[in-house]
Amino acid sequence: MSQVKQSGRAGYRIIRYSPWLVHFNTGACNGCDIEVLATITPVYDPERFGVKLAPSIRHGDILVVTGAVTKKAAERLKILYDQMPCPKFVIAVGACAIDGGVFSKSYSVVGGVDRVVPVAAYVPGCPPRPEAILDGIAKLLDLIKKGEVVNDGCSGQA
Amino acid sequence: MGVVDKHSLLESFSVGRGVVKPSRKLYIVEPGNVRRVFEALIEKFGYGGFYLSTIVGTDLKDEGRIRLDYYIVLLPEEETVVLRTFIPRENPVIDSLVDILPGALSGECETHDLLGVVFRGNPFLKRGFFAPRDLVEKGEYPLRKDSGV
Repeated sequence: MSQVKQSGRAGYRIIRYSPWLVHFNTGACNGCDIEVLATITPVYDPERFGVKLAPSIRHGDILVVTGAVTKKAAERLKILYDQMPCPKFVIAVGACAIDGGVFSKSYSVVGGVDRVVPVAAYVPGCPPRPEAILDGIAKLLDLIKKGEVVNDGCSGQA
Repeated sequence: MGVVDKHSLLESFSVGRGVVKPSRKLYIVEPGNVRRVFEALIEKFGYGGFYLSTIVGTDLKDEGRIRLDYYIVLLPEEETVVLRTFIPRENPVIDSLVDILPGALSGECETHDLLGVVFRGNPFLKRGFFAPRDLVEKGEYPLRKDSGV
């Protein structure tokens, strides 16, 4: 943790004012996806934080994951995560992305996002309000700024 | 040819009647007659007279049989009717519709993958598209009541 704090600060400056999002649905009912899409509209104006959607996963800084992770989506989620440049952060949006939610004991579900990739921030709710999602992103940016963020995906070496 | 003709055609094949929520007419037919019903529907009303919406399979473990519901939408009235049939659980085989009705592909493949129903004559049946790989390797069908998943 302290190592992350020390070595991470300089590197994180790269994305501090322009965190680009990538949105990935690992098996959501689309409730959270609608809220995530509402979050990036001008009504909530995420660009005041520099937040916008990345054109490709290879340009992404923050991966917004919605939905319980199914066994089939888990492989794809890992591939997507491995393609992101360092430093990279994952936000789990919604009750299902946190621990599987009501689907957690299903035969086709692995569980929460943190079973597959390291998660930096959790946004609870079913579905969370757009304000809550934006608040989660802003709080993550605050942690990045302070250098207190955990799970940057690169062991603090970014 | 109105909707009455379509109902009377379905009625002529049925061995039982009923109602499915919400007030959809239900026709129970013999499993060997399902394909004949669709052939008759195509012959009399054409491909524009109806479409197959979905196929729903249910495992009735205590009765030792599997229930198949074919949801048909009659056009242009847009009225949904249900064609129901029962096949034995030990040997769940029924004739495929995919060669005369391509819209049956997704329903048949899903019912095969999740419930183990074999649609005779469908060349596209395979395991592992809907069901996770570990279940396929164990040879389990997740929607069977005794699959234990």
